[in-house]
Order: sequence, then structure tokens, then C-alpha cells
Amino acid sequence: MINVLSTNITSPLGLTTEQNYRAVLSGASALRRYGPKAGEDRGPWGTTEPFTASLFSEEQRAELAIDGHTFFEALAIRSVREALSHISLDVASPRVVLILSTTKGNIGQAVRYYPSEAAAMIAKAIGVTTTPIVVCNACVSGLSAMLLANHLLSASLYDYAIVVGAEVQSRFIVSGFQSLKAVSAEPCRPFDMERNGLNPGEAAATIVFAAKSPSDKDMTGAVGWQLVDGAVCNDAYHIVSPSPQGDGLTNAIEAVMKGRDKQQLASVCVHGTATLYNDQMESKAIQRTNLSGVPLSALKGYYGHTMGAAGVLETILSMRATDDGIVLPSKGFTELGVSGKVSISSEPRPTDKTAFLKIMSGFGGCNVAALFEKGAWSKGQVASGKVTLEKVQTVRLTSADGTSPTDIYKQQIGDYPKFYKMDILARLAFVATELLLKASSQESEADKGHGSEVAVILFNHSSSVVADRQYLATIGDDEASSVPLSRERFFPSPSVFVYTLPNITAGEVAIRHHLCGETSFYILPERDETLMQQILEATLAQTNATSAISGWVDAESETCYECELSMYNTTS
Amino acid sequence: MEQLIKDLKLQIKEALNLEELSLEDFDADAPLFGDEGIGLDSIDVLEIIVLLEKEYGIRLANPKEGKAIFKSVRTIAEYVQANRKK
Repeated sequence: MINVLSTNITSPLGLTTEQNYRAVLSGASALRRYGPKAGEDRGPWGTTEPFTASLFSEEQRAELAIDGHTFFEALAIRSVREALSHISLDVASPRVVLILSTTKGNIGQAVRYYPSEAAAMIAKAIGVTTTPIVVCNACVSGLSAMLLANHLLSASLYDYAIVVGAEVQSRFIVSGFQSLKAVSAEPCRPFDMERNGLNPGEAAATIVFAAKSPSDKDMTGAVGWQLVDGAVCNDAYHIVSPSPQGDGLTNAIEAVMKGRDKQQLASVCVHGTATLYNDQMESKAIQRTNLSGVPLSALKGYYGHTMGAAGVLETILSMRATDDGIVLPSKGFTELGVSGKVSISSEPRPTDKTAFLKIMSGFGGCNVAALFEKGAWSKGQVASGKVTLEKVQTVRLTSADGTSPTDIYKQQIGDYPKFYKMDILARLAFVATELLLKASSQESEADKGHGSEVAVILFNHSSSVVADRQYLATIGDDEASSVPLSRERFFPSPSVFVYTLPNITAGEVAIRHHLCGETSFYILPERDETLMQQILEATLAQTNATSAISGWVDAESETCYECELSMYNTTS
Repeated sequence: MEQLIKDLKLQIKEALNLEELSLEDFDADAPLFGDEGIGLDSIDVLEIIVLLEKEYGIRLANPKEGKAIFKSVRTIAEYVQANRKK
């Protein structure tokens, strides 16, 4: 359990939490329709199909810009600075960590391509001196980042965590989601009969967490709130389609609410992307976990899907609304279009309760549930045990060895045709895990029903750079493109785009071995075994996992890669 | 028509990275989806939609229309022949 010290939301609707909350209460939305103008065949960023999105205006961009920084970095820096302005925190202390949540960071901004470079720039600008950690877990990144803060602070590795989620939209992201037919040309309609896709959104949102209860002088609007507990569970079903019955999400909710009274929940702040499959799956999980009577709020109708920022942004709004005794209305919803029994409304509803559940699901099959509460939860403080890790087995694969993952697959595995669909990063992790499980004779964990007890926690430096380059080529935005943004070279490939989220790699491993525990992907400035070990231990101390597949999996190109994964068992 | 079917098989095999499927075993009438046939999934459908636009200039905005079209390579070939722009 960790404490909220301060918050900020910087979005097209406002530059502070309060401005954003007031805007949402008044029913405002920054969703606008973009697309080819009359007589032109290309919309913003050379996209061919119209879309609705929540984007900063040119004026707002100019106002938020910071010299020497990309707009993505400036947005994150502005948000963190505003959050820090409410409290006195010795940011330069070695007891403060910065956790950045984003799906694509500086993509489309031509500099500091690697998310860890962007994180380093943000850390420097705000004065954080410890190594920043980037969480890259697709749509659930924001909640994952807060759970990582909970792990690190509960393990006493730091006293404070600054969690900032940020996303800037681009040709890359919008065309990618369009290629998956996931983007709506109209304002999104979460949980509605007529819903037909998500709206991309831009925003940054920050929560500063403290391990200990804050002193009175640190009090701000959101103070008194705690992140009580959270869980990440993989569907082990498909890399982009959620499990139809919401298995992973159900497991995550059950893990968090075990032994807790669901009647104390003011609301469940759902993911509610307004895609057909997500909302339907969420409704199933809500019914299965007996939460049908708890009011839902779906907030994408105000901001669109702000991706790396979404988890942080929606949590802050839920805290603020609960403070006011309100369950926020779900803008865009009119008629229920999901089969699971849920309580959702386009009107604000009163509540006298002081806790809420935030849930999210995303590509790579990951599902997260996190419980936030104001004041003491009936169950009391969550005990944080220490675990000892035993390294059972290690597998190394590097390009220097001269054997490619594909060669190893052909020679030693060969029974999984989907292997050929994977990018180099997923192939590396797939083959390494395969060898690891063979060597440690734990291949049948899932058969024994232990799949939920195995965590997959991966680290790298280069994110998904190889898949990113391949995807850029499909949208005519690569180095080979002589005519930028030409329609003749604009064929966004959905099967390449999915691998531009590095956590898909962990998802592939989970699917292959039916591993339904936590899957996470973190990006660091360099391979730092000490930090990786600390994150792994802190995570396993707070979860049900009894073993983990973890380590470094990095590919700079098809022919330059490094992978070292180990199987760990825990002993309490 | 037979040539178009042959072209499509090769294009689908390449676009979908069906490495282990030999063109000889790729039956033009085999169902593309489900456990019985080739076993393609939802992303594969979207990739075939891209392929049809890229190679034949056919734009299929709504993937739901695709259900009947994407039954087999032969049904795709019939659709391409009737709608191709290049």
C-alpha cells in the first residue's frame, strides 16, 4: 500500500487536475473529427481514413513546448512539474524514482527514439537523479506503472515514486490502430450498442506516491488516497484479442478483491475503449466477479484512449470525483450493448463510499486491476513479505554466437507455425523460454494448473525498434522513402504493428505455455542486473507467483541481439 | 482464374508468413479459418485486406463484409476478379 501525495493531468481539456475535473463535470470533451478535407485524399499525417481523436491544438502545443525537448518530453515534464509544485519533495534524493508509462514515447518526433532516452531527458529536466524506469505494457502501462511503484516502495527500495504517463499521437499510432480496424471515425461510445472503435488521445498525467503517510503540510486535493493493492494477470489467449469470457481480467479482479467487501466500492473505473471486444469482455468479467451492482464509469468519451497516460489520468479523475461523492458519467453511452450485467450511466451518480477499482486490459493479453481507497481499508495494511529468489536455470542467446533464433526453432522446437509471424524480439524470448523450460523440466507447470503462479518479467533497452522500422516501411515513412507520405507506399500492416508493442513478446511466451500470471515489460537505459533483480524481487514479494521467467531480451536489428533469460523459484 | 488463384496463394503465404505451408498443400477450397483448414486468425484477415488493396486496388473498409469473401482462396479469387482495380 502506498500513499498519493499529489497529482496532475495535462490534457487538451486543462493543465491541472482541477481544470480537467471541472471540464469533465461540465461534459466537455476534446474529441474532434479529423480526416481528408474536401478535395483532398489525405488527412492528418497522411492517413487515408477519417478518425476522431483528442489532440492538443497548435496553440496548446506552442504553450506547452519546452526548448530542447520534444513535445512528448515537454508534456511529461509540464505534468510532473505541476504535480511537484503542490508539495515539497527533495527530487534529487536517491530515494526518489521516476517511472514513465508510455506505449510509443518519442515515435514520430525524429529524436531520442528509445523510450529510456526520453525518460532520461524528463528525469534530468525535473531533477531526478536515479535511473528512470519505462513501463511499456501497451494499454495497461499506466496501471502497471503504479503497481511497479507499489512494489518498489513497499520493498523500501525508494521512499517516493513519480509516476508519469504520457502519449502523443502520430502517423505511426493512428495508422496502426486503423489497420487493426480499431479506430472510430465518430466520438467513441463505451459499452454502447452502437460502439465501433476507440479514439486516439493525447495527454500526460502524474501521480506522486510516498511509501509513508504524508505529513499535514504535504496535503493537497488528492491526499488521503492510497493505492491499496493490485494484480496483473495474462489471458494467455491471443496477442490482441481479449479472452471472450474475460478470464485474465476476472482473475486480476478476484486477486485484488479477495477477502474484501465489494459493497465498499463507490465505482469501477473501466477501460471502456469502445471497441466491440474490449467492452464485451469487461462486462463478462464484471458479472463473473459479482460487481454487476457497482456503478461503472468509462471516461474515454472525454479524452479518447490516451494509451500510456490513460491508467494514471482515469485514476486521478476517479479519486477526485469520489472525493466529491460522485461517480462520473460515461460520456457517449446511451444504450447498453454488452451481454454481461453492468450498471453504467451517462448521468453522474451520487456515492458515499470511499474506494474504487480501476481496471484495464490490453494487447499482449495483460489485464490489471488496482484498488484505491481513501482512509483505512477494512482489511488493513497489506503485508509486504520478503522473498528469496533461487535461479534454477539460465539460457543465453546472442547474435555473437552465430545461431539465429529461427535456426534453433527449426532444429529443436518446430511445432509452432505462429513462430514465423513473430518479430525478432518475440522469437528470441520464445526460443529462450522454450530452452529454459526444457532444461529446468518445468514445461508442465500449466498442465499442473500452476500457470497463474509463473510471472514473465522482461527488460530491454531498444524497445521494439526492429518491428518499429518494419512498420514505418509499411506506412512509407522509412529511410527508403523518397517521397514522404506517398499514398502509393501507405499500406499499414496490422501484423507488423502489433509487434511494435514490446510486451507482445511476454504475451507470446504466456500464450505458448498457458502462463496466466503477471506479464510485464520494462525499458532501461542499459542492462542493469542489480536494478532488474530488485524489480523482480519487489514484484514477486507482492504477488502470488512462485516462479518467474525473467531477464534481458534486446534486439537492435535482425542480426544484432542479446537475450539472457532465467527461471527463478521463490522461497518465502 | 487458375493463375489468379496461384498468385493469391503465394501472396497470402508471404504476407502471412505461412512458412510451413507448402503451396502444393494449399488447397484453393480449404477453409481459411477454423481448426479444419488453414487456421488463420483475426489479424490475418486484416492483413489480407491490406494485401487486396496493395495488389489489386480493392478497398474493403468493413471487415464484416469479408466473412463470405474470405472463406477460401477460391472465394477471394472470385471477389478479386469481379472487383479489381489493377
